[in-house]
Amino acid sequence: MSEEKKSPYIIPIGPTHPALKEPVMFTFRMDGEVIRDVDFAPGQTHRGIEWMGMRRNPVQIVHLTDRICGICGVSHTLAFSRAVEQVAGIEVPERADYIRTIIAEFERIQSHLLWAGVAAHELGFDSLLHLTWRVREQSMDVIENLTGNRVNYALVQVGGVRRDIVPEQHRIIEDCLSTYEGLLGKLLDLFLHDKTIAMRCRNVGLLSKDDALKLCTVGPTARASGVNVDLRQDYPYCAYGDLDVRAILPDQHLGETRGDVYDRIVVRLLEVGQSCGIVRQCLSEMPSGEITAEPKLAKLLAICKKARGEAIGRVEAPRGECFHYVVMEGKEAPTAWKVKASSYSNLMSWIPMLRGEQIADIPIVVASIDPCLSCTDRVAVVRSGSRSILTKDDLHRLSVEKTRRLQQ
Amino acid sequence: MTLVTTIGEIILWTVIVSLFGLIAGLFLLGIDRKLAAHMQARIGPPLRQPFIDIRKLLVKENIVPENAIPWLFNMAPVIALVSSLVILLYIPLGSLISPLGMYGDLILVMYLLTIPALAMVAGGFASGSPYATVGAQREMVTMIGYEFPLAIVVIGIAWRLWAAGVAHPFLLSSIAGNPVWGIVGPLGIAGLILLLIVLAVVTPAELSRIPFDTQEAETELAGGLLVEYSGRNLALFSLSTAVKTLVMGALAVAIFFPWNLSSFVALPAGVAQVADLLFFLAKVVLVMFITVTLVRVGMARFRINQVVTVYWVYFALIGLAGLLLLMADSALGTVAGVL
Amino acid sequence: MALLPMFPELLKQLFRTPATNMFPAKYLPPSVTGFLKKVGAGQATLVPPVQTPPKFRGKIEYQRDGCIGCSLCVKVCPSNAIELLEETKRIRIWVDQCIFCSQCTDICPKGGLRMTDAFLLADEDRYSENLIVE
Repeated sequence: MSEEKKSPYIIPIGPTHPALKEPVMFTFRMDGEVIRDVDFAPGQTHRGIEWMGMRRNPVQIVHLTDRICGICGVSHTLAFSRAVEQVAGIEVPERADYIRTIIAEFERIQSHLLWAGVAAHELGFDSLLHLTWRVREQSMDVIENLTGNRVNYALVQVGGVRRDIVPEQHRIIEDCLSTYEGLLGKLLDLFLHDKTIAMRCRNVGLLSKDDALKLCTVGPTARASGVNVDLRQDYPYCAYGDLDVRAILPDQHLGETRGDVYDRIVVRLLEVGQSCGIVRQCLSEMPSGEITAEPKLAKLLAICKKARGEAIGRVEAPRGECFHYVVMEGKEAPTAWKVKASSYSNLMSWIPMLRGEQIADIPIVVASIDPCLSCTDRVAVVRSGSRSILTKDDLHRLSVEKTRRLQQ
Repeated sequence: MTLVTTIGEIILWTVIVSLFGLIAGLFLLGIDRKLAAHMQARIGPPLRQPFIDIRKLLVKENIVPENAIPWLFNMAPVIALVSSLVILLYIPLGSLISPLGMYGDLILVMYLLTIPALAMVAGGFASGSPYATVGAQREMVTMIGYEFPLAIVVIGIAWRLWAAGVAHPFLLSSIAGNPVWGIVGPLGIAGLILLLIVLAVVTPAELSRIPFDTQEAETELAGGLLVEYSGRNLALFSLSTAVKTLVMGALAVAIFFPWNLSSFVALPAGVAQVADLLFFLAKVVLVMFITVTLVRVGMARFRINQVVTVYWVYFALIGLAGLLLLMADSALGTVAGVL
Repeated sequence: MALLPMFPELLKQLFRTPATNMFPAKYLPPSVTGFLKKVGAGQATLVPPVQTPPKFRGKIEYQRDGCIGCSLCVKVCPSNAIELLEETKRIRIWVDQCIFCSQCTDICPKGGLRMTDAFLLADEDRYSENLIVE
């Protein structure tokens, strides 16, 4: 056997594999246990949600956006609603903004706890998975109480929210917040002071600040590498303008930023505490008033039908910036609707993170950016049964062609 | 005539001990899963779950992958199970006499312990899957890692017994007959505790449990060595793991906790043996709880290079320190004897 | 245990009651349908599921009598699960397609649609009687 045939050898991981919670195809070129090079192919869970959206009115699409992601449903509904509200010129009542903020922060709490459990599982630490998911239940219960369901909340509607937070619910929320504030120290202790976790996560999956900026990473992935980005601080929306939200960077807790998996754990756990603070502040400052700009849905549909223009809705989802682009041209359905989920910006950071690491690090490094692949997969090109890869040039050519077509 | 009866007796005892080993081993796995579940705030499967699993596996199709080496692929699980059962024949179970106890010693047991692992390695290489190949390589590296600390434990105990004047110090029956704690002084006790810790840390690696389960690593290699195994072959490997769990527990009990109930309380002959066996099983469960269950739920999985560092550096050093303490203890004893 | 903070936590948990709900039974019965039959016959007891929250959105309920056939619900249903039957001017809801957003109950001018607490809707046939509301 010739030398180049033996080394490097190739290990395929995916499209389905225990290390991956959602399908994506990795191809690793290995040298012993060390990763020499890595390539990945997303697009295994394309569902055509945008296509469905272009055949529906905004009131219907809001509930479709809820299903783009099972974990960050509020972020997608919020981003879409904000885009449509800008196009249609709907002014959202202040109370609705506060309720939106509260539910978005609860979503962040449960999403980060879910991630922490998954990360522990990827390390083979199942007890920690069970513990974090057990304490996560309390936030799920509160979300259930506020919205009616555990996932697919259907709380946000164009123009406001569909359910109010009544005084009896304040106590439930307050109970949950104080539990989490008490638990946070324990969770930090269990995750950060455990020698085995530190051995597996410190200096693993490094992403330098330069790379993080170059690859346009967002959310906790970027913040763990020391990039000071957070939409809630940079472009406040909903009630965040009234609150004092500062991006959480790992050096605030550890005194230094390395950009490894450990830093990503720190950022996410600290954000749980931050979210508790935000919810508490929202509860105490929440103004009274209407919860929606237009309670009559038939009227809302008419307003949306008349709307013309284009707008972008941006929201800081638990995984980073989530972005919806909507064009409406006086028809019932939007002319264009594009979704850029936060994982889309983060996926490319896998390449520098994984290069030079070991096989054992693949699960935790892949999980460390908290990838949400079904949110990300927007395009699948299948022609006569065979898949093809489109390069940047191809995409540019196609978009020029489309513009020409529209100009005619 | 006597030879025939002895052979007949040995065969009879072999069958009895093997059956006992399979059943007790599977129950041990059930207890392990139940305790682990409770520590993770779950209810967990019923104690008989491992039996249900084995029954299910035996009904399922036995798939041999296209690019596997069929004879080696099919033989590996058989060798693994048989060799684990053979070890059991050398280890004293309570006050029952082990059928082959007088024909082999601790050194042989150490060699035999490597065979199931080697069978798994062979099966892994024969699977023809990159995951299994990586798993097999890791298993070999792990074996090289833990054999050295294990050897230190065995030699340390045997040497101390020999120094105390015990005849055939490597024979398990003499180790079990002369509890080593009674022989040594305070320095020796400290040394023995260190050796006990080393044995406790070797156990999860022998059984490929977290944190030393890099060769199977569910989230990395999707089962590693066992990834291509299914049906009957996987059932045999599971049984072999079950027996090996009992073997490792029994070994720790025989070396470090050999006391029997009947030596403390006067019991009629038949009752004494049953009582001793139950007491032995209780000790095995306790040993397993501490070395396997608690460790596997309380830690994250190591990387393969960390496994080697942990064994060759930390636990080899701890073992050597224990050995030195034992030697110092023996030397002190001799000096005291001369004075 | 400064290096492994999980150990004390685990040992404490060992003596506490598990957090999981034992629905429908403590251990998986050999046959779930057989178990349910036994429960029906009173030979076994079913551990109840976790309570649904207030204003839970479960299987939809339709009051045919009050319906005026305005088809507003059809217009807002995101999953096209509601069908207007032209001849009777009444609606039919395909529950297997419903995504439980409760938008139709909000828009109904007569209040004839309601979300119930029923959530055990698994069925082998998507057109079974259980999954069609009319």
